[in-house]
Amino acid sequence: MTAVTSRPASRPTAPESGLPGAGRPRKPHNMLRKAIWILITLIVLAAFWSVDISWDALLTFPQKLVHYLGLMFLPPAWAKFPDALGATMLSVAMAWFGTVIGIIISFPLSLLAARGLMPAVVRWPLRGVFAVLRAVPEVVIAVLMLSVTGLTAFTGALAIAIGSIGTLGKWGYESFESVDRGAIEAATAAGASKVQIMRWGVWPNAKPDVLAFWLYRFEISVRASAILGLIGAGGIGKMLIDNIQFRVWDVVGMLMIVVVVVTMLIDQISGTVRARIITGRWEVPIASALRRRSARRARALASPTVREDDGSLR
Amino acid sequence: MTTATATARPTKPKTGWRTLGIVAVLAAITVWAAIAIGVDFDALVRNANNASNTLVQLVQPDYTFFPQTLPALLQTVQMAVIGTAVSIAIALPVSFWASRATNPNSTVLGIVRFIMNVVRSVPDLLYASLFVTVVGTGALSGIMALVLFNLGIMVKLISEALDGLDRGGQEAALAAGANWTKANRAAMLPEVAPSYISQAIYVLELNIRASTVIGLVGAGGLGMLIDKVRTFYEYHYLSMVILEILVLVVLLELLSSFARKRLAR
Repeated sequence: MTAVTSRPASRPTAPESGLPGAGRPRKPHNMLRKAIWILITLIVLAAFWSVDISWDALLTFPQKLVHYLGLMFLPPAWAKFPDALGATMLSVAMAWFGTVIGIIISFPLSLLAARGLMPAVVRWPLRGVFAVLRAVPEVVIAVLMLSVTGLTAFTGALAIAIGSIGTLGKWGYESFESVDRGAIEAATAAGASKVQIMRWGVWPNAKPDVLAFWLYRFEISVRASAILGLIGAGGIGKMLIDNIQFRVWDVVGMLMIVVVVVTMLIDQISGTVRARIITGRWEVPIASALRRRSARRARALASPTVREDDGSLR
Repeated sequence: MTTATATARPTKPKTGWRTLGIVAVLAAITVWAAIAIGVDFDALVRNANNASNTLVQLVQPDYTFFPQTLPALLQTVQMAVIGTAVSIAIALPVSFWASRATNPNSTVLGIVRFIMNVVRSVPDLLYASLFVTVVGTGALSGIMALVLFNLGIMVKLISEALDGLDRGGQEAALAAGANWTKANRAAMLPEVAPSYISQAIYVLELNIRASTVIGLVGAGGLGMLIDKVRTFYEYHYLSMVILEILVLVVLLELLSSFARKRLAR
């Protein structure tokens, strides 16, 4: 591992500018780099050396893993599949509701935190709040909220909502600030007020990005809701942890398949819609690939002498 | 707003109806979700008193608890560092298999990508709870969970970086008679190195966040401590632990943004 991580250090790089009075700027820079790499290697070695682990557990791990995988997937308990579907719906509902609440709260806040509408006195505290919310994991927020609502799916949704305010708020004001200045200038020149500038100069430009971020956040929330279930907030995660604790491995195997398939499915759907929002064209993953393939075949049939070979589509 | 803009946009009524339809569907889904999870804002009001007690305790962290948290804090950092080191070492060759630009064999490519997609869609806390039951509680199960979790992310990011690289050097190496391994080693690896390092830093950052949490199911680190103090409702201690997580995450975020800025230059 050391060999892998230190490889880039030995590679000569472009000379670094900004070193005062250096006729040969490369050498001191490499020294610094080497020092950093040695330091990193030492930190990693120290971590390995000092961590309190009985490494011999690793020796029996492969056979244990094979054993447990056999218990889980040979065969998975499909009889519990309807229950799993219900629990999945609850998890997705938790993620959806949490994300919607998060959007409703974060959207006005991110407008206020963007440059141009409010003075810095309002902006920076808001950004601080977003940063703090981003730093606290959802699970910890849920643990904090236990005392207020008890551990229900609603708690999970609220935890997701609070967690998503941090990320959505930040992405929101960043996309408001990165819009093309032209429309803002035009609106200003036409005598628009600050609110009108936001509505007609900033929003139309930022809209696709913001909508895409909302969807992306929903994908994250789906994962988070499964995790919140593991600490007891209900849904597929709760069903999983219950079955793990009672060692009903064939149900665990089935649930893992459900989690993986549902997560991948939601990612695909959301990714497709996001691409539609940003590019303005529907690009359905499998359907588009099939369409391209059949078009290629048709072209090949039409003119067999022309060799079709664009490696990117193999 | 003004008549000028209105006349310049003749299609507006149509998109207005469509937007309305989409919004109605989304609102319906939201209502369904609210019913499914049993939204109960009353409970918030009813338990407001309870909540305010908790909040008062939360804003007064017990700093004398700090020495007792040190072992868990150290374990969190150790887990994050080891998890990152192991996973980035494994991720490098796997990413070369998972990128279309560096792997000419489309069967292997498809298999590797599919496996990595599956690995990526399992949440970290689930890995942790599985490994805790298989190898027992403690840092080892946490590290293994982090490694798998990181592997999914690292391979996706690095193989995407490889896909986007300029392949001139590789082509030259292949034309000069190198095999794919040699061509990738000589032409693609140096090119992808900066983004590899920057993603490694990003993964370390993710790991610090994750390893504070995976302890909740018994996989070591600060999460285990959180689980311990929350069962006894010791919110003074809990807020101290959360404060530590915050400081750790913010410090690492500063460090990583600094390091990545240097790499970008």
